[in-house]
Amino acid sequence: MNPATLEFVKQRFSDYYRTGTLAAPPSTGQREWAFVFFDPDYPEIRMRRHTGFAGNDDLLEYVRNMAPAHLFYSVAYYSMPHAPTMPEKGWLGADLVFDLDADHIVRGPYDMMLSRVKEETAKIIAMLTGELGFAEREIGLVFSGGRGYHVHIREIAVRGWGSAERRELIDYVCGIGIDPGIVLSMPSPSPRGWHQRYIAALTEYLLVLEGMDQKDAVADLLTLGGVGKVTAEEFLKRATGLRAALATGPSSVNLKDATTGRVIRALADQKEGKFATLLREKAALADEPVTTDIKRLIRMPTSLHGGSGFRVTPLTLRELDDFDPLTDAVVFGTRDVRVESRAALSMPLLGSSYQVSKGESVVPEALAVFLCCRGLAGIAGRA
Amino acid sequence: MRVALELRDFAKYPFLKESQQFMGRNTDIIEEFLCSSPGKIALRHAMDRVRAALRSPGQQDDMRDIPSDNLGVKISVSGYVLARIIVSCTKDRSLIERLARYEAQRAFRFLIDEEEDKRVFIAGSIGINSAGADLPVIQYVEIVAGLHEERWRLVNRDVWNGRVRVSPVEMNELLREQVRVILLRQLPLSVPETVCGLLLPQTGEIQGLFQQTMLEQFGAVEEDSFPPCMQSLMAALTGGTNIPHAGRFALTAFLHNIGMAASDIIALYCRAPDFDISKTQYQVEHISGRSGTEYTAPSCAAMRTYGICINSDALCEKINHPLNYYRTRKKKEKKQESGGSTGTSQS
Ligand code: SF4
Repeated sequence: MNPATLEFVKQRFSDYYRTGTLAAPPSTGQREWAFVFFDPDYPEIRMRRHTGFAGNDDLLEYVRNMAPAHLFYSVAYYSMPHAPTMPEKGWLGADLVFDLDADHIVRGPYDMMLSRVKEETAKIIAMLTGELGFAEREIGLVFSGGRGYHVHIREIAVRGWGSAERRELIDYVCGIGIDPGIVLSMPSPSPRGWHQRYIAALTEYLLVLEGMDQKDAVADLLTLGGVGKVTAEEFLKRATGLRAALATGPSSVNLKDATTGRVIRALADQKEGKFATLLREKAALADEPVTTDIKRLIRMPTSLHGGSGFRVTPLTLRELDDFDPLTDAVVFGTRDVRVESRAALSMPLLGSSYQVSKGESVVPEALAVFLCCRGLAGIAGRA
Repeated sequence: MRVALELRDFAKYPFLKESQQFMGRNTDIIEEFLCSSPGKIALRHAMDRVRAALRSPGQQDDMRDIPSDNLGVKISVSGYVLARIIVSCTKDRSLIERLARYEAQRAFRFLIDEEEDKRVFIAGSIGINSAGADLPVIQYVEIVAGLHEERWRLVNRDVWNGRVRVSPVEMNELLREQVRVILLRQLPLSVPETVCGLLLPQTGEIQGLFQQTMLEQFGAVEEDSFPPCMQSLMAALTGGTNIPHAGRFALTAFLHNIGMAASDIIALYCRAPDFDISKTQYQVEHISGRSGTEYTAPSCAAMRTYGICINSDALCEKINHPLNYYRTRKKKEKKQESGGSTGTSQS
């Protein structure tokens, strides 16, 4: 980042931190805090960790003065959060968090990624409240300021959980570890949860197979581990019958049968492929390591994301539906700023769509901050 | 609902606070107790308990003869207490785990034959409301976190409205696990040095016995009995192919679990192309429990998730953990071997 650009972004961030509404998370004094500042060599990242604050006032005063580029705190609670090593910190517990990041889900233009990850977020919320039974008021939902959302669950009962317990929940929302033999034989009269989702994915896959040319369908089955031509052809013959069985009595599907069992088990092991995709569509694709890490650092809601200039925005569950990060997470204004863009690009922001040509142009301040933070443009005119 | 506990219930479920209260009425100083004649009987009983805990679950004898007289119950419950003290004195984590598992299994055997209201009462006293057909998600997850079978994974359960459906048979199994976890959490007890000193002959015997059992169960490391996944990972390693982190973790944990020494595991990794002694040492020691948590090799399902369940074979169908594969194969080979060796001696 050239000095003018760095100065511009730093000024804008300072402005926000001086006047913006900031909210510290609960138990500030037990958290580890970490910062990245606008150092001269920014965006070279140098994180300052192991900071502790006595309380909210100390923290907020520090943040307002320092106007960091990135601001994180530990999901963990510690007895000595500022201690330099983990054993000395004294782990007391940790919030349960889920991270939905478009980077792990889909590639494409920024606004497309944002809307896709929003769907994923709605799915996880539905699972957390409807199936796993967390009360709405226990769920803190936050737009990350980047490409996704964070879910914070501060329920006391889960704070002491280690990674193994947390893994049960992340595997559940992601649909990892489904055992077809167990799921199909569940005695539930009307399938729900993963029982239903798994049956639906399998049914859809069978429909796809039936709709394909015999040759293509066999080829698709042959990509499965341990499935040969004879098995594939025999399985194909049974597809329609199997689909009927799934609809009327899933537990009647016999996995002990060599052909059916082999294919259905191989499908469950599939990493990439049609069935895996169908199943994944029904999961909420949260990032696994974030949830199982009981010492994770996470962005502070109401801070700014240094990679976008957007506000890390806390939301109520009801607000998610109408939330548009490209408007609602924008904290800067519309005064003219002259930037120099590295490439021509188009970008929706604050309800308008902007076409920025390569080279110098005038854009609203909010867009200028975004482009500078992303490294797509710099401040023009002041060499 | 009040459930009347009988004397013999204290012997069946010595971990209940009622059982301890029953004992509490005659608080002896432990050193004195150990030298008294009931103390000696109780100590013998405690040793039987620890010895039984060392046997593999299939060979643990039935303990149907539960005392129902005052003295018999007292000796039985004291035996429970002393057994805990003995393993605490050894400070050996695996021994402690064995005893917790044994005590849980023992209680489980009685529990399954218990009248419904007594079962519910005992479940309640370890924090589980077992009267319904389901458990709250949070409690369920806490109980099954230590269970490895796929059927316990939350994703394979009927989960709705914050509750996990559980069959009556499973409920008993979950009670057993809960007992195990609670007992494990209480151990090791902090036993005064003087008491451990008095128990030196007992702890010595137990440690020797334990070593012998370990050797019998696992014996020397036999690569031929490795499951296909571990053989492939080994082959990749020795062949100088880079293996991904998950693979390294799985292999290291596996080798550690079957009793390979950390230094030997590190020696194996010397063959890896990106070998870095200090990093490897750190990783291996971390996985083998230097940092406090001991890691267990991933289950077959987890191996599949990581994409490192490679070349699974017929035996794989019958097991759900690579360690099980290894144990089963070794047992089989042992049988064949003993049969075979008679053959050779005759020829
Ligand atoms: S089924 Fe289990 S033991 Fe067999 S290869 Fe796969 S992971 Fe290994």
